[in-house]
Amino acid sequence: MPVIELSYSRLQKLIGKVSKKQISDSLPFLGLDIESEDKDLVRIEYSPNRPDYSTDIGIALGLQGLLGIKTGLLKLTIKKSKNYSISVKPTISKIRPFVTGIIAKNGKIDDKTIKQLMTMQEDLHFGIGRKRKKSSIGIHDLDKISFPLTYSTVDKNHKFIPLNSEKELSISEIISETETGKDYGHLLGQSSQVPIIVDSDKNTVSFPPIINAGITTVTTKTKNLFVEVTGINKADAEDMLSVVATILQSAGFKLENVHISGAKNSSPKLEEKKISVDSSLINQTLGLDLSTPKILSSLKKSRLNAISKGKKIVCTIPPYRFDIFGPMDLVEEVALGYGIQNFEPNVSPSQTIGQTNPVSLHLKSLNQTMIGLGFLEALNSSLSSKRVLYDMTNRDSKNILSVLDSKSQEHTILRDSILPGLIENLSRNIHESYPQKMFETGNIFNLDKPISEKINLAVISAHKDANFTEIKSVLQTLLKIGFGIQIETKTVSNSTFKDGHCAKILFDGNTIGIIGEINSTIIENYKIRVPVVGFEISLSDSVLKSL
Amino acid sequence: MSQVFHDIEKKIINSLKENSIQTPETLENSTHLSPDQIRRGIEWLKLKDLAIVDETKSSVISLGKNGLDSFEKGLPERRLLNLIKNGPKKLSEIQKELGFVFGPAIGLCRKNNWIETSSDQIILKTTPSELPGEKSLQLIGNNKLPKEQIDKTDLSELSKRPDFVIEDIIKNKKISLTTSAKSLDVSNISGAIDVEAEVPEVFVARTHPLKDTIDEIREIFVTLGFSEILGNMTQSSFWNFDALFTPQDHPARELQDTFFLDGISAKKIANSEQIRKVSDSHKKNWRYQWDINEAQKMVLRTHTTCVTIKHLAENKPDEARIFSLGRVFRNEKVSYKHLVEFNQIEGIVVGKDANLRNLMGIQREFYKRIGITKIKFWPTFFPYTEPSLQTMVYNEKLGKWIELFGMGIFRPEVTKPLGITKPVLAWGGGIERIAMLKYDLDDVREFYNNNLGWLRSNTKCQ
Repeated sequence: MPVIELSYSRLQKLIGKVSKKQISDSLPFLGLDIESEDKDLVRIEYSPNRPDYSTDIGIALGLQGLLGIKTGLLKLTIKKSKNYSISVKPTISKIRPFVTGIIAKNGKIDDKTIKQLMTMQEDLHFGIGRKRKKSSIGIHDLDKISFPLTYSTVDKNHKFIPLNSEKELSISEIISETETGKDYGHLLGQSSQVPIIVDSDKNTVSFPPIINAGITTVTTKTKNLFVEVTGINKADAEDMLSVVATILQSAGFKLENVHISGAKNSSPKLEEKKISVDSSLINQTLGLDLSTPKILSSLKKSRLNAISKGKKIVCTIPPYRFDIFGPMDLVEEVALGYGIQNFEPNVSPSQTIGQTNPVSLHLKSLNQTMIGLGFLEALNSSLSSKRVLYDMTNRDSKNILSVLDSKSQEHTILRDSILPGLIENLSRNIHESYPQKMFETGNIFNLDKPISEKINLAVISAHKDANFTEIKSVLQTLLKIGFGIQIETKTVSNSTFKDGHCAKILFDGNTIGIIGEINSTIIENYKIRVPVVGFEISLSDSVLKSL
Repeated sequence: MSQVFHDIEKKIINSLKENSIQTPETLENSTHLSPDQIRRGIEWLKLKDLAIVDETKSSVISLGKNGLDSFEKGLPERRLLNLIKNGPKKLSEIQKELGFVFGPAIGLCRKNNWIETSSDQIILKTTPSELPGEKSLQLIGNNKLPKEQIDKTDLSELSKRPDFVIEDIIKNKKISLTTSAKSLDVSNISGAIDVEAEVPEVFVARTHPLKDTIDEIREIFVTLGFSEILGNMTQSSFWNFDALFTPQDHPARELQDTFFLDGISAKKIANSEQIRKVSDSHKKNWRYQWDINEAQKMVLRTHTTCVTIKHLAENKPDEARIFSLGRVFRNEKVSYKHLVEFNQIEGIVVGKDANLRNLMGIQREFYKRIGITKIKFWPTFFPYTEPSLQTMVYNEKLGKWIELFGMGIFRPEVTKPLGITKPVLAWGGGIERIAMLKYDLDDVREFYNNNLGWLRSNTKCQ
C-alpha cells in the first residue's frame, strides 16, 4: 500500500482549529495507518481505493469531516470558459484515444505544495493509472501555453526539449535515453506514431504518457495551471482528473473548464452522482439502530451530502469518490462517519455445531501415532527448489512444476514428494545428537488436468544402526495400529534409495509409496555421517481414501 | 533404622575389609569402579561415619619443558663438553649446534673452569665425570617422583634453571573403615542408586510448535460453532481473484506479487452462469474487457478466501459458520518477517441477521480465547469486503499495538453474481504471526528451519 509523508503543522493549517493529538488520534479512523512519526513529520499508509488521500490536502478534507470542522460534500466550482480547448485528431484513436483536462487559476504554490502534487501524481500513475497504462497526468504552467491545443500523433523524429533536459531530444532519444522513457516506453507498443499534445504555436506541451515539455514546468512562481489526463478509457481518465481538480480547488485554485472535441472525445463533466440506500440496510448491516438524522450527519462527516426521502437516504457523491459503487459502500461511509470506535462488539449465540474436517482429524491421529513411535514433526514449504527436490536426491525432474519469477531461489518448484525435504533437514542438523527421527505430512503436487493435490506422509530415521527392518516396522505398525491397514513391500529399484534395500509399498494391490535405505551418495553429498532410512506414502490413497 | 547402601558403597566397604588402609587408586583397582564413583562412595561413607579419610599433602617432582629437553639430549654443559671432546671447535660452530642453550652452557663451563676460550675457539680443559643434577635428571625422566626420593643438592641445582623441574603439591587420601563399619555385613543389604547424579538427556518426540498453534486455533473455531472446509492450494485466478471482485489489471495479480504456475491454465474453472455473471460484474463496475484466459491461469492461492467463496457458491447456504485453514503464498523476498508460504485462518458467518457488530464480537471472543483482551478496530480496505476493518491488538511484551486479523462483509459485487443472497461476514489472517508472539520468536523463518536444537528444546505447553 502506498505511503506518504505529511507534516502536522501543515495539516493543522489546512484543517483549521485542531491539535496535533486530535490529528494523530483520528488518522486511523479514516483508514490511514501511521507507519512512523518524527516530531512534525508523520508517514502514513493509505488504501489505493482512496487516491484523494495521496496528498495532505485530501487528508485534510477527510479529517475536517471526521472532526466535524467542515462536513458535507465539497462542491467543485468550474467556471465555464471558451478560452481553452483541445482538438483530438483521429490518428490517436488506436494508440491512446482519450484526453481530458482542466484549468486551475490564481493559486499559490510553495515548495511543499509542489512536493505534495508530485507525490499525488506519482501515486495516481502507479495506482489507478496502472503504471500510466490506463491513464496519466501532466500538470503544466498555463501561462507558457497558447491555446487551442491539438492532441494527435507524431513520428519518432519529432523533437522538443523535455522536462529536466537542457537540449532538444527526438522522441526516439527520449524513449531510449531518459529514465521515464526507459520505464514507460513499452506502453507505446510497436507503433511508429506516438501521442503528442502541441499548442497553437506548434510548441510541444506533452508527450503522454512519458514526459512533459520543459517549457511548461511548474515552479513556485507558477500561478495558473493546465492539467491534462490522457488514457485508454474515457471514464478512467475523467476519474483521475476529478481527483486532481478536487485537490487543486482545495488548495485554493479557481477551476475553469477545457473544451474537448473530436474522435469520440468530449469535455469532462466532473459530475456528482446520486445513490440511494435504505436506512434499514444501514442499520441491519452495521447492527445499529441509528435515527435518520444520525445517518445523515454520519454521511456528511464522510464528506458526502445526504437527504432523506421516506425510508430512503439519497446521497450525493462527488466525482472523486469513484470508489463508491453502490448502497453497501454508503453503509461503510455511515460507519466511518459514525466512528468505528463507537461500535460495541456483540456476540450472537451460535446456532450451529462446529466440526473439525475428517481429514484434519485423521491427520491428527496419525501425528499422535508417529509421536508415539518416537518421531518428531517437521514442517517444510510446499514451494521448494530443484536442488532439494531433484538434484540432491537423484530424482527425475521431467514433470517439474515451476512458478514464474519467484523472488526467492529456494522457492521455485512445487514439491511432488516430501522425503527430499526431510533428507535436506538432516543435513542442517549434523551437529545435533542422534538418533534423529522426523516425519512430515503435507500436500504434494502433480501435473494432472491441470494439477492434482494429494496428502503424503514422509518418515525418516538417521542414526548409526538405522536399517530397513527398523523403518519397515515403523511403517507396518503405524498403518496397522493407527488405521487397521495391512501393507506389503515388494522389491524395486529407485535412484533415491540403495539398490537391494528398497521396496515399493502396496495396499490393496496398488502402489502407495516407497521405503528403503537412502542411497549413500545422497547421504555423502549432504555430509551426513550416519545411515538414513525412510519411507513416503500417499495418505490420500490409503488412510484418507474413504474420505 | 536399617541402612541402605549403594552398590558403590558396598564394594568399597568390602574392599576395605580385606585391605584396611587404602588410597583411592588402590580402591579403583580392587573394586573396578571409576575414579568418580570412588570419590562419591568415599564421600557418602564419610557422611555416614563409616569411613575415615586421612589427608596428607606431599610434593611430587616432574620435569618441565627444558628439563625434558635435557633429559633427552643431556644438560647444556654436557652437550658442550661432548662437542669439544675430540679437539677444539669454532665458537660459531658450537653456537649453531647448541642454539639457545649455548649461553648458559658456556657460562657454566667457564665458571667451573672446564674449558678455555680463545678468540674464536673453545678448548677442553677437563671433563668432569658427573655433573651436578645429571643423575637426578635421569632418575625423574618422564615420571613424577615423590620429592623425598630425589637428591637434595641435585634438586636445588636443577630448580635454579628455568622450566627444568615442576613441583606439584598433591593430597594423599588414606581411607579406612570406622570401628562400626568393620562389623557391618553389607552383603545382604539391598542396593540403592544415586538419585542426585546427572543423567543423560533424552529428546521428546513431539508435534511441531506451529502445528500446536494451528490445532489450538482450529479447536477454538470448532468450539465457537464453526465447521472446517478444505480446498486446494493451487487455484484458478477465477476463484482466487475474479470471483472476489479483483480486476484483472489489479497490481496484486502481477507476477511480482502472486505465484503463477508456469504455463498451466485450468480448462474448466466454473459453470457458465458463474463465469458470465462474474465477468459482467467486472465489466460493469471496473469498465474493462474481461478476459477468460486471465481467469484460467493457475496460481498458488494468495488467501484461503478462494476456498470459502467456492464453497459458498456451490452450497449457497442461508445460514452457516465455516472456516478454512491452510497454506497461502505470496511472491515476496524471504526475511525475518516475511515468508513466501504461510498459514492462514479464515472464518465465515452467513446469516440473514449477520452484521458488523457480530463480526467484531466474534473477533473479541476469538482473541479472548488465545489470551488477548486488549483489542481495537480500525477501518481498512479490502477489494472484496465492504465495510472492512482490521483488528489491532495490544502486545504487552512489545509494548505496542500490532495489526492482526482483517475482516469485513463480502461486497454485493462478490456475492450477487454467485447467487449468495444472505450477508457473509469474513475475517482472517496469518497464523505464524500469532505463533511468533506465543513462542517469543523474532524470526518467522525458524518455524520452517527444522532446527532440531530449537524443536527439541522448545517448551511444549505454553
